Amino acid sequence: MAEAPITSPSAQPADELLDPDFMTRLERLEILSRKIHTSRQKGERKSKRKGESAEFADYRNYVVGDDIRHIDWNIYARLDRLFLKLFLEEEELNVSVMLDVSKSMDTGDPHKGLYAKRVAAAMAYIGLCNYDRVNLYAYNERVVGRRDGLRSRRVMSQAVRFLQEVPLGGKSHFSTAAKQFAMRHTQKGVVLVVSDLLDKGGFEQGLRYLLGRRMDVYVMQVLSPQEMEPELAGDLKLVDCEDADAAEITVSRPLLNRYRANLRAYCESIREYCTRRGIVYVMAPTNHPFESLVLSYLRQQGLVR
Amino acid sequence: MSLLSWPTALIAAALSVPLLLLLYFLKLRRQERQVSSTLLWKRAVHDLQVNAPFQKLRKNLLLFLQLLILAAVLFGLANPVANFMKKPERNIVLLLDRSGSMKTEEADGRTRLEYAKDAAEDFVSGLSGGSRVMVIGFADRASVVCSFTDDKRRLRRQIRGIEPTDGPSRIGEALQLAVAYSSNLVDIPGVATPEAAMQGSADIELFSDGRIADADEEYVTRGNLRFHRIGAAVDNVGIVAFDVRRDYERPGMLSVFTHIENFGPSPVTLDVSLLLDGQRLSGPGSVQEVKLGAARPAETEPDAIAAPDEPGVLPASRSVVFDLHHESGGLIEIRLHREDALAIDNAAIAPIDPPREVRVLVVSGHARVRDLLVRGLRSIGVDEPAQLDPQAYETATEEDLVVEGRSAYDLVILEDHDTDRLPPGSYLFFGGVPKIESVSVGEEISGQPLVLWQENHPLTRRVMFENVFVAKWSRLTLPERAVRLVEGEDSVVMAFITDPGHQYVVSAFDLIESDFLWEPAFVIFLQNMVMFCSGSGLTGASRLVSPGETLTLHVPPGAEEVRVVRPDSRWEEINVEGRHTVTYARTHDAGVYVARFDDPGETAEVFAANTLDATESRISPNERFTIGAEEVVSVEGEVKVNEPLWPYAAGLALMVLLVEWWVYNRRVMV
Repeated sequence: MAEAPITSPSAQPADELLDPDFMTRLERLEILSRKIHTSRQKGERKSKRKGESAEFADYRNYVVGDDIRHIDWNIYARLDRLFLKLFLEEEELNVSVMLDVSKSMDTGDPHKGLYAKRVAAAMAYIGLCNYDRVNLYAYNERVVGRRDGLRSRRVMSQAVRFLQEVPLGGKSHFSTAAKQFAMRHTQKGVVLVVSDLLDKGGFEQGLRYLLGRRMDVYVMQVLSPQEMEPELAGDLKLVDCEDADAAEITVSRPLLNRYRANLRAYCESIREYCTRRGIVYVMAPTNHPFESLVLSYLRQQGLVR
Repeated sequence: MSLLSWPTALIAAALSVPLLLLLYFLKLRRQERQVSSTLLWKRAVHDLQVNAPFQKLRKNLLLFLQLLILAAVLFGLANPVANFMKKPERNIVLLLDRSGSMKTEEADGRTRLEYAKDAAEDFVSGLSGGSRVMVIGFADRASVVCSFTDDKRRLRRQIRGIEPTDGPSRIGEALQLAVAYSSNLVDIPGVATPEAAMQGSADIELFSDGRIADADEEYVTRGNLRFHRIGAAVDNVGIVAFDVRRDYERPGMLSVFTHIENFGPSPVTLDVSLLLDGQRLSGPGSVQEVKLGAARPAETEPDAIAAPDEPGVLPASRSVVFDLHHESGGLIEIRLHREDALAIDNAAIAPIDPPREVRVLVVSGHARVRDLLVRGLRSIGVDEPAQLDPQAYETATEEDLVVEGRSAYDLVILEDHDTDRLPPGSYLFFGGVPKIESVSVGEEISGQPLVLWQENHPLTRRVMFENVFVAKWSRLTLPERAVRLVEGEDSVVMAFITDPGHQYVVSAFDLIESDFLWEPAFVIFLQNMVMFCSGSGLTGASRLVSPGETLTLHVPPGAEEVRVVRPDSRWEEINVEGRHTVTYARTHDAGVYVARFDDPGETAEVFAANTLDATESRISPNERFTIGAEEVVSVEGEVKVNEPLWPYAAGLALMVLLVEWWVYNRRVMV
């Protein structure tokens, strides 16, 4: 699967966003959050709050008003005092994926957009398998589509359809989109931003919005090999596919070297920014086999277990 | 310096239009390419511009190169010529001296001619591409070795092929040829190239040792003459005069006169020997030791015999006389036994005939005059001259007058008689004229003295015409070639006319109208006449020629072909069928020429060409000499050539274009 180059997203059959084999392997994974989040719904996650799960946490004295169902009658029998038996509350996890669907994602070979959608699908599937609350957001200069509150594996098809149907186009403006997302999505959780981050508006502001919501942020930068090692020659007028901005270049070895150095420095600056703020940054070249990215690389990065 | 001329502008246009087109094509047309984002590219371009020091320059390199090309083209357009150059392109005539003196061997054994050829080749090699060169070789005559061409290989080949001669240096004909050819270049439209017409006349480059006999008489009418002096050797002793005479009284006795001159800077002693038919004669007197002083400065005229020398100082030249008794014919040769730089003047050779009596015919109607003429002839050793009156002369049989196609007499003297009966021979007319073309008699002139006579001509030498009185004479109409021997105030009194096979001396006066017959001058004149006309009969004097001189041979009856054997043993055959005379001009080499006819009598004539030329023998190269009024000084150092610079500018433009192409490609190909 990974070895077969994907040329065009529209040529892909619907179920090929994730193939069944791979999905079974994804079932064993779960999304980690380094923060314990609260959720109104009881989920499969341990919560900081003491709750009603099967896992014992502590005892405490009964005070008036407590649910008498939680009183440990055995201790009352022995000590004749009322104690409440506290259990760890298990909560659901909010897993959000912010998928960049701007025009720039519609390039590259292997295709960046498809790669990003597959990552999003994989993350959604992992989340759904673990009874997490999965929210999918597609954005370019703003949020253009969302499917939130997905729970249980049954709605996986909805997620896939959403991902397949969301069009690629428009300018990207991550900070606007992140602001919208943050305003709308007040609950804490895990946010995975899948984008090429080639955003003239900058990426810092957007990440700040997400951090402001005390979210566990993961950033995955998807770059095509053409962006990492440009195969250009001659005197060219490069046109930005999003805003039609033109750059006249004469390709030369120094220029290419400079480009590569700049790209490296740019990625490095993102990584540094992220590291400083406790954000996990993942670099994903589209020629990197997708399955190994999810199954091993993301594991190493601590996003999934 | 005119910056722009028609052809240059044309060249510029032809050069610049394609260049401009090329530049147009070189102008960048950027290809559009969609990329995901120009964010990093812009940053990279910006960084590159900011960081790299000569980035602005780099970016504009193509522009700079184009500017350079344009500059080069403009420079070429300006038709620049370097300061020391006079003309952008030249027509040049190379004159190569190949006279006898150029055979002089220099210290390393190579001859001057070879040096001259080397110098000429170097000159040709150093010329600019557009120069057109013509090569003329000259000795006594000039010949075009190579007509105007810019093909340097051909020029060099032709220069290499120039052969030496033994002739004297006479530059006149060469200069005429040079001027004529270069005038052609200028004057005839269509023949001349526009460039040639623009340049005007050709420059003349003379490669010679500067010993040129006729330099004073010539002048350069067009162009500049530049003289490249060849050679350095000076040591030479040569024979400058040579003659063989038979004694009148004793025809068996031969006197051999030679004049030997030392041209070297130091006194010499040498042996001079006399050879007969190539054999050293036995007995005393056949070898003489001659001591000669150092040569006098070249400015002095080489009139050695008369020059009084200071006592005690050896003269540089001496006459040597050999006497021998020899009744038959043969070859007399004088040899100088000395090794010197020029070998050709160390020997002189003369063919001699066996002695025979001089036969003279006197034709006159006046018995008294006839008698006086016969007595005069007898007094100078002519035994029994034949006598005829005019009627008898006209009616005499052919056999009486003609022998072997020539007159039976060495000299025919006709007094008061016009005739057209003139078999090939020598004739002296008194009061009559030969009936030949362009000779006629006009009105009578009387009461005038004789004004002018040739004192150096062999016929009138030592004849004292100042004592001669002529009462009247007739005005003569003469052809151009006639030599005026004696002249009155406005008319010719005596003239010498030569035709092929004929020699005429025409006297306008009748002997009885003058006291010439009773003057001692008359006997001297008669002797001159007999010696001149019968010279060949006596000693073969007319068979002594200079190298290059044309030989005139009388064809014996029945001959169809003549074979001329040259000194180098090569021979040529000439068809002479039906001709009375034949000429042979290829006598460039000194030595003996033998002409054998295939007539029944197998007539053979022997000629000897000798380099008896003090000018040639004086081999010390001339630093300067004058041609006409212009002094010619040898050119030292390298030859400077007028070279236009525009081809270099064009070449530069082309080179820069190539560099630009390379740079462009490098930039594009990464």
